[in-house]
Amino acid sequence: MNTTFIFRKTAPFLALLGLSLSACQPDLENDNKPSAGTADFTTYIAVGNSLTAGYQDDGLYLQGQQNSYPALLAQQFKAVGGGEFAQPLFSPGESNGTGYLQLTGFTNPPAPATPSPILTRVTTSLATGRGLGLDGKTTLLTRYTGTDNQNLGVPGIRVADITTPGYGLNNPQGFNQYFERLLPANSTTSYLAYVQERVTTLKPTFFTNWLGNNDVLGYATTGGVTPLSTVADFTAKYNQMVDVLTANGAKGVVATIPNVTNVPLFTTVPTAAVIAQINATPIPAALVPVLLAQLAPLGVTTLPAGTRFGLYIKTNNTGSAREATAADLLLLPASSYINTPSATSPFPNGIGIVIPGASAALAGALAASANALPNVMVLDAAEISSVTTRTNELNTVITAAAARKGLAVFNANTFFSQVASNGFITNNVSNNASFISGNLFSLDGVHPTPRGYAVVANEMIKAINSTYESRVPQLNPNDYRGVRFPQ
Amino acid sequence: MKFKSLLLVGGALLTGTAASAGGYQVTLAGQKNNGMGGVGVGLSLDQAAMFYNPGALAMVKDRGVQLGVNGTLARNSFVAEGSNTQRELRNSVVTPFNFYAGFGPAEGKFRAGIAVYTPFGSKLQYAEGWEGRTSLTDIDLKSIYVQPTFSYAVTDQLSLGVGLTVLAYGAVNLQRDIALPDSYGHIELDGKAKNRIGFNAGLFFKPNPKLSVGISYRSKIDATVEDGDVKFSNIPASFATRFEATKFSATLPLPATTSVGIGIMPTEKLTIGFDVNFVEWSKYRALQFDFDRQINGSTVSTSKRDYQDALTFRLGGQYQVTSGLTVRAGAAYDESPVKDGFVTPETPDANRVSLTGGASYSFGKFGVDLSTQFVKIQKRTQTQADLINNATTDRIAGTYKTNIVIPGIGLNYNF
Repeated sequence: MNTTFIFRKTAPFLALLGLSLSACQPDLENDNKPSAGTADFTTYIAVGNSLTAGYQDDGLYLQGQQNSYPALLAQQFKAVGGGEFAQPLFSPGESNGTGYLQLTGFTNPPAPATPSPILTRVTTSLATGRGLGLDGKTTLLTRYTGTDNQNLGVPGIRVADITTPGYGLNNPQGFNQYFERLLPANSTTSYLAYVQERVTTLKPTFFTNWLGNNDVLGYATTGGVTPLSTVADFTAKYNQMVDVLTANGAKGVVATIPNVTNVPLFTTVPTAAVIAQINATPIPAALVPVLLAQLAPLGVTTLPAGTRFGLYIKTNNTGSAREATAADLLLLPASSYINTPSATSPFPNGIGIVIPGASAALAGALAASANALPNVMVLDAAEISSVTTRTNELNTVITAAAARKGLAVFNANTFFSQVASNGFITNNVSNNASFISGNLFSLDGVHPTPRGYAVVANEMIKAINSTYESRVPQLNPNDYRGVRFPQ
Repeated sequence: MKFKSLLLVGGALLTGTAASAGGYQVTLAGQKNNGMGGVGVGLSLDQAAMFYNPGALAMVKDRGVQLGVNGTLARNSFVAEGSNTQRELRNSVVTPFNFYAGFGPAEGKFRAGIAVYTPFGSKLQYAEGWEGRTSLTDIDLKSIYVQPTFSYAVTDQLSLGVGLTVLAYGAVNLQRDIALPDSYGHIELDGKAKNRIGFNAGLFFKPNPKLSVGISYRSKIDATVEDGDVKFSNIPASFATRFEATKFSATLPLPATTSVGIGIMPTEKLTIGFDVNFVEWSKYRALQFDFDRQINGSTVSTSKRDYQDALTFRLGGQYQVTSGLTVRAGAAYDESPVKDGFVTPETPDANRVSLTGGASYSFGKFGVDLSTQFVKIQKRTQTQADLINNATTDRIAGTYKTNIVIPGIGLNYNF
């Protein structure tokens, strides 16, 4: 039987099948071709604060700069005609920039206490060789001498600051060292004038503007010590900035101010649980005579039934303390401060005595005797309300400015509120707003991780695509890390 | 000689791919049928009747052995939602095979036989670093049924048959990456299924030389893996305590199928078949893995499937050109059992359209069958919003599209 005949006959047939396979690969790329739509991404500049600079882990350093959302956006813009994007990077020899926090381990306390993270500041390969500035407290950073800068993010800047001359001038009254390093020596240029110069020189066709966070964040992170920017001042200056950016017909995206009370800095310490734990702690017998001695002038000779410990907070720097409620937010640093021994009070830090049903005079005396948490560690309920109200007011200014110029809006406020309540899934990987384990927020509890910045870049791309009918491809955020763990 | 080497090839690559029927079902059980859109329930073509309709076996005139091997060459493309990067599989060829031997008295009313085939299987290897890596990187699902069969012709017009479907071999290898905060680990689940027994049965009725009808049923078998191995790799020391499992168990339903078919023979040379298959995929509610020790705090991992029952429609025919040469053509339309928003990388499924062709040449008692199928799994998109709505975010949003070419060859010898 001649079976080889069959095989000889069929071999070409089978080979043909094999050839046809290369043509058999389905093509989805054609359906997903990038396009610039009505926008022009040729030259892009980014205006903003620490978020724009790539600040994270309480520092500005090379890896953070390289993963800044403007850098990620510029990378994606290349698919739709975007050009190079120059950033004021720290040199490889000074790659750790200002230094930053690193997770170096976890404490191992006896139960029921749970381990807490150990954060250590990186102090090598810094860009701080110029020492302190003329104000004797601000660290000067190695100057960026390039003239091509397109990432104009200046950590710490408020909209309220953008027209201030000398904001980046090394002077005895204080200055912003991140702006100082972008400017030539002795320049008194304001931030707005700097942006104007960049616009004139680079003629950007596209911009992002994410300013405004520090106009409320400073108030929040200092527990209400730094004032909130006024709406009038913000409105005037924000619109000046938008006018400068759009003067040449550039298109762009602006971002709103997230409600800062959704970030781990304010949400990690569970106020209600801390209060409950303090309330449930029995008063040691040894402390009773000390308490009675303090209370004797008020006519208290024995501790009434129900007397307990309580968590006391100061709501401003001068006034009296009050007992905390679950509506107050404790800042992240409070976690390692509350209930630690105090040199100045018989009570541990944050702790005082509560006598239920006490008279106003007695309650006041108890509050005065308590070792209340300092104002900067607490964002009390009234301050939360002020922050939220002002954030919403300023966001109205931002969206109105965008509407006036037909710009895309990344509603960071809405987005991060949703992240805080529902988490955010990136290609099957769960992320949320938790400290360390949530992947999105870096070790300072405010600024995103590279993963978080990638998510921000994607959200901006979505806003851009929807406004300009473009198809800028998104990133895979999972290609970017969350918090780095000790190896 | 060729026959022997083909057997060896089959032995080395015993697997199907998510190829010619919805879900992870594979219907490449007979080379003649493969060329005819997969029809066969209402026909009595050859020994492969044991798979398609054991009731028809008694009506197969010839006794003999036959072996078929298919090469499934799948080309899959995926683009994640919002991305423009097309991901393509690391391509692999898998070779579903079938073997039949039928015996019986030349003029007697019964036939007995044994069938070996691969009714379910899937093998996919996704691109390195693709967006769904934490859902799946590799899957290799294999099953081999061995089926002793008996068929009896009650009258010249009516025959029936039953078979014992023995899950003689089943294996699963499933791998995915584990998302850690600053790196990726990897997990591999590897296990063998326990042997299980089910049955199939069929009725075949041929009232006149121009018409035949058939109905057949194949029961569900639960492929159960116990004591499968769990292997972790690339887990940094700081996370090692979260990944302790070493063993897993899981059950995958291999669903019941009910088929009806009709055969029309307008002339002696022309045969046309039309089949409808009904697969009870709705039994596949969830894929659950139970682990002996915790993985990230849990000893159970459950993923929603919620498959729905699905129909397949098949139409095919053959024409005897000369005494030796027969040519075939056919088509099939296969409803996906996977609902919108439930598509997983392990079965990137959608409705399928198949076109098939084939030819046979016989040299007296010896024959060769060639077949080829072109399967187009339609483009299917699911969005992250779909996944969130269905609570199926353990998979990935994007667009899948797959084309498969399945050339096959069969050899038969009748006695």
